[in-house]
Amino acid sequence: MTITEKIMAFNSGRDFVKPGELVWVNVHSVMTMDYLGKQCFRGFESLSPEKRLFDKSKVICVSDHLVPPPTTEWATLLNEWREIVKRYDIPYFYDLGRQGIAHQIMVEQGHVLPGKVSIGTDSHANTYGAVGAVGNAIGVTDAAIAMATGKCWFRVPESVKLIINGSWQPYVMAKDLSLHIMGMMHWNGHLIYKTLEYTGPAIESLSIAGRMTLCNMTVDLGAKNGIVAPDQKTAEYLAPIQKGDWHMIGSDADAHYDAVYEVDVTNVGPTVSKPDKLDDVAPIEQVKGIKFNKAFVGTCTNGRTEDFAIMAEILKDKTIHRDVNMICIPASQDVYLECIEKGYFTTLIKAGASIETPSCGPCAGIHSGVAGDGDIILSAGNRNMKGRMGSRNAQIYLTSPAVVAASSIFGVITDPREVYFN
Amino acid sequence: MKITGKAWVAKDYVMSYDMVIQKFWTSPIDKTENAKWIMAGVSEDFNKENGFIDKGYTFIVAGHNFAGGGKSIEHCITGLMGAGIKAVFATSFARLQFRNAINYGLPFVTAQEMNLDCETGDILEYDDETGTVLNLTNGKNFNCVPVAPFVAEVARSGGLMNFIKQKIADGSIANLN
Repeated sequence: MTITEKIMAFNSGRDFVKPGELVWVNVHSVMTMDYLGKQCFRGFESLSPEKRLFDKSKVICVSDHLVPPPTTEWATLLNEWREIVKRYDIPYFYDLGRQGIAHQIMVEQGHVLPGKVSIGTDSHANTYGAVGAVGNAIGVTDAAIAMATGKCWFRVPESVKLIINGSWQPYVMAKDLSLHIMGMMHWNGHLIYKTLEYTGPAIESLSIAGRMTLCNMTVDLGAKNGIVAPDQKTAEYLAPIQKGDWHMIGSDADAHYDAVYEVDVTNVGPTVSKPDKLDDVAPIEQVKGIKFNKAFVGTCTNGRTEDFAIMAEILKDKTIHRDVNMICIPASQDVYLECIEKGYFTTLIKAGASIETPSCGPCAGIHSGVAGDGDIILSAGNRNMKGRMGSRNAQIYLTSPAVVAASSIFGVITDPREVYFN
Repeated sequence: MKITGKAWVAKDYVMSYDMVIQKFWTSPIDKTENAKWIMAGVSEDFNKENGFIDKGYTFIVAGHNFAGGGKSIEHCITGLMGAGIKAVFATSFARLQFRNAINYGLPFVTAQEMNLDCETGDILEYDDETGTVLNLTNGKNFNCVPVAPFVAEVARSGGLMNFIKQKIADGSIANLN
């Protein structure tokens, strides 16, 4: 069996499953957030008149989309959300002040473990695969049912293996590989409902943060989940934070894959996805010199410490171009603090960047710097369809934090390797 | 059961973000309410209160990546149901809304490139047991992927919430695996 098949089997009381089979798995954790959470609890209450959660320490509540609230309507919605979370005495409530983007919180606070299934009411729950879990996005209905019963249904997905060979070039990041694969696959439906398993030497050498970026964007490839089998690096990352026990797990040597692809990361350079369509991808050489006026680094895809570290390295003693407004949003309070302590934000502020408090922010066009008419945005976020960050008359180029940083010096899309080597 | 009605033929990439525009993401999940502004971002024609409902469509026939873009909000599905949509046929669906559709018992039926052989306003007849569709306007037939047994059972229960309520009531919830 593949790792995903094993996780589906072992968490549903089976020794064996095969793709296409329907299973009800026991979930390790259920995450919901501010703007959908109340409806999850309402649904749960309709299933459980005695209002008994399956395990309140496994219902993780996060305020990330609406905080800090820009309107009175959302402030009121947040108050209703807080009231219901407090009523259930939820021990893990990451509200404003202790907040972060839900997927970052789930991993960095140890709520996701290898070999287990964790679900969340937001599409980028695929991120959890970075530590060897099956992470899956579900709707309010599934969350309500899991809150009451601890269970969630799944059709066991077919597996696709991506073997990533070679070594990473300087200033090439997991995001570049992710966008490269996006361009290689195209969104034509052949990866939908499937699991994408990342393996190979270039994955072994990748940090947990980089693995999070890769798994995060598997949802945007149409996949059901993305996963990297746990290794020593996973164990070291989880040791101080894990909430629960786990065991090493991986795919069998004779596991069946629907397809196997190989990518030599040595040949992957900085990569950019052009406005409106995620799979309209170009190597940086083809888009160099394009002007932009807004720069954004943050989100559950690229708002982690190593993302701001590479930006600080590039922008040290440099000045962001006068025509560029840059917004940086750390993915959590822990990331924020680490970036302050390590001096990254000092460097970025001196270069002319604005730092916002952790939230989903403008990535989904919600607040903290949404797009207006005519904006051309160079973003390290995850989606670039029309209107994603606000105005439908804005253009969004997606790329890595390194490209955003290097480009911001000149106000045009720039290869970070040129800045480095010059 | 056979269902007959008028179809709206859509292009590839009808995005969930356009089906339910941002200001309604925080609305309560309610078929009648969610239907009023469903598809508001898809075309100017639908961008008014009851814009989509007033067209009187029963079916949607789409290309690739229907309800794509990744939002998990169920308003997309309840909005369609409230607007009178009885089934959606598409070459491919984004999995999040595919899952939500199963949970609400709204047939999302995989049908290869059926959108190329239908036009908006055509009258279709869908047999939900066999998965066949007959276009009564142009006489063409389509064999779609039939609905899986679990999906049919959830639909018969009136959605996953009711399915689970029944399992709780009859004590079989503990055996669910």
